[in-house]
Amino acid sequence: MQKFSYVIKDEVGIHARPAGLLVKEAKKYESTITIVKDAKSAAATKLMAVMGLGVKCGDTVDVEVEGPDEETACAKIKEFFEANL
Amino acid sequence: MAMDYAKCAKEIYDTLGGRSNLVSAAHCATRLRLVTVDNSKIDMKKLENIDGVKGVFSNNGQLQLIIGTGTVNKVYEEFLNVSGMTAATKEEVKAAAAAQQPLFKRMIKALGDVFVPILPAIVASGLMMGLVEALGKAIPSFAGSDWYGILDLMANTAFTFLPVLIAVSAARVFGGNIFLGAVIGMIMIHPSLINAWSVGSMDAAEIPVWRLFGFFPIRQVGYQGHVIPVIIAVWLMCVIEKWLHKHVPEMIDLFVTPLCTVLVTAFITLGIIGPIFSTAESYVLEFAGWIITVGHGVGAMIMGALYPLTVVCGIHHMYNVIEAGMLSAADGLNIWMPIASAANFAQGAACLAVGLKSKNLKTKSVAIPSSLSAALGITEPAIFGVNLRFVKPLVCGMVGGAAGALLGSIFHIGATSYGVTGIPGFLITLDYTVQYAIVLAVAFGVSFVLTWFIWKEETEETEETGKAASDTTTASESETVQSEKALFAPIKGNIINRQAIPDETFAAGVLGDGVGIEPEVGEVVAPFDGEISSVTDTRHAVGITGPGEMEVLIHVGIDTVNMNGDGFELFVSEGDKVKAGQKLMTFDIAKIKAAGYSTTTAVLLTNSDDYPEFKIVKTGKTNTMEKVFTIE
Repeated sequence: MQKFSYVIKDEVGIHARPAGLLVKEAKKYESTITIVKDAKSAAATKLMAVMGLGVKCGDTVDVEVEGPDEETACAKIKEFFEANL
Repeated sequence: MAMDYAKCAKEIYDTLGGRSNLVSAAHCATRLRLVTVDNSKIDMKKLENIDGVKGVFSNNGQLQLIIGTGTVNKVYEEFLNVSGMTAATKEEVKAAAAAQQPLFKRMIKALGDVFVPILPAIVASGLMMGLVEALGKAIPSFAGSDWYGILDLMANTAFTFLPVLIAVSAARVFGGNIFLGAVIGMIMIHPSLINAWSVGSMDAAEIPVWRLFGFFPIRQVGYQGHVIPVIIAVWLMCVIEKWLHKHVPEMIDLFVTPLCTVLVTAFITLGIIGPIFSTAESYVLEFAGWIITVGHGVGAMIMGALYPLTVVCGIHHMYNVIEAGMLSAADGLNIWMPIASAANFAQGAACLAVGLKSKNLKTKSVAIPSSLSAALGITEPAIFGVNLRFVKPLVCGMVGGAAGALLGSIFHIGATSYGVTGIPGFLITLDYTVQYAIVLAVAFGVSFVLTWFIWKEETEETEETGKAASDTTTASESETVQSEKALFAPIKGNIINRQAIPDETFAAGVLGDGVGIEPEVGEVVAPFDGEISSVTDTRHAVGITGPGEMEVLIHVGIDTVNMNGDGFELFVSEGDKVKAGQKLMTFDIAKIKAAGYSTTTAVLLTNSDDYPEFKIVKTGKTNTMEKVFTIE
């Protein structure tokens, strides 16, 4: 499993639009991508679940990637976070 | 991360309260789906904390545990071991969760599901065929011309290869590989087999037969114009294919499964299904030839009623034999033609009544051209696309057909040729123009009037229930809404296309398909019975999960996240169960506008990719709880 932590810099947090883009990105990979915030976790492919985490600016999230293409997926998702969130 | 699947499964099983609380189990790509006797007995928190379970929620009577791709199937297998249950498919779990529909209804529905997608092809062909044939009869010199030849080819292609279209569509409906389905369809009309249309005029002895093992006979006859045998064959194919996928080791699955699927299905189709149908056909043919001679038009009346059913079974192409036989007899008149004509015309009338009465645009757009095609004598689009789906129009059409056929027999109408019915039929009944017109008028009138009064569009009822729910907002009245996979308007206002929402992300469909609503009133109600799956601290958006696992996001205004909740009030929180029409949120339209943002609210089905069909049924002005879109 690959994982990384990330502090959200986007003002509105992981809200509808960024969440939608994230889900779209996450669906590209075979690996299961899970976003963990505090005790809650959500599959990154499920928009409602991702939004349900209520991630705000300044929050720290852990992103876990597990599956056959976990290395590329993890790197790409990390890039995505840095570029968008 | 290596995970102990057995341990995970065991813990899930123990938390669920043992075998007695379990109905069935299945899994999809990421989730373990369970139907339990009583969800309330289960400690959800404990389930969530099991190592390997990433999330838990319950939906539509199903308990779903998110486990993850590649691991869920292993946990599932272990789960079956510890629980002692047998494997169930996702469909079975869905079926167990939903109320069982009667078999007959499901069969009619399957037939409709198969036919609706191919309707454009057969409506086009039906109309062209009717026109080309009518022109051919009206202008004899045209019938032999090159123009006729090429137009006829274009017109009859969809019907000549109808089994292929049906097979592809059926494979999709029954969940098989559509290309294998196409192969089965093509086998059934392979040019090496004798065309079903010419078999009728051949002696039984002339028909070539293969003899396998020296005794097992397979007649070399195709299935042109057939519907039911093709659907049965493809259904069988899908059953075989799915079974093989499950039992063949993955290494050799790719070549073993398709090979065995096609081989076994083709043998059963040509060897068993085929003979059963051809035997049935010859009996029907004999019966039809006999009954129209019975008792002063009574027999003709019965045939007029039964005729569309024989079209459904694909037997009608055999009737040419009866007609040809009549014409070659001493008096040489075709008394079969008025019966067929009345029956066809009546089906067209029933279809037209549906088209005019229906408020559903899609039904209208199918029914009206189909009825025109039926008036020209090609009834398949009307029968399969419309009448059979709703059943009542078919029956009303049968009554109309019977009335017309009875009159035709009383008038002793005889045609001088065969091959056309309906309006072009005038051309071959020149000695009986008035009588023939009366027959058609009666068949049309009876069928149309009956259909108009007896058939009621089902969706109307649900819409009314939906409105009632919004007025009273009581739990019991919105139950109809729940059973249907539809979204009802959460806001009063003006519905616009998703593409017209003034925000790129929403408009492009990144967050799923849906609509925008320009609100007139600042209140959001639940669009169906469901569970609140997400709310935001800024109170301007709410996610709700409803029937058929629809996950809908209602996002009030554009960029309103920047208002930080000012002007928004939320009445529900995450995990709340809500009833359709229940108030979820209010917002201050004036405040949003004053802050410089658009009030256009996105109502999006975020998992629209999961459904093969997403249909918007309403745009423009809407009240709350009017049906906006449906999924299948």
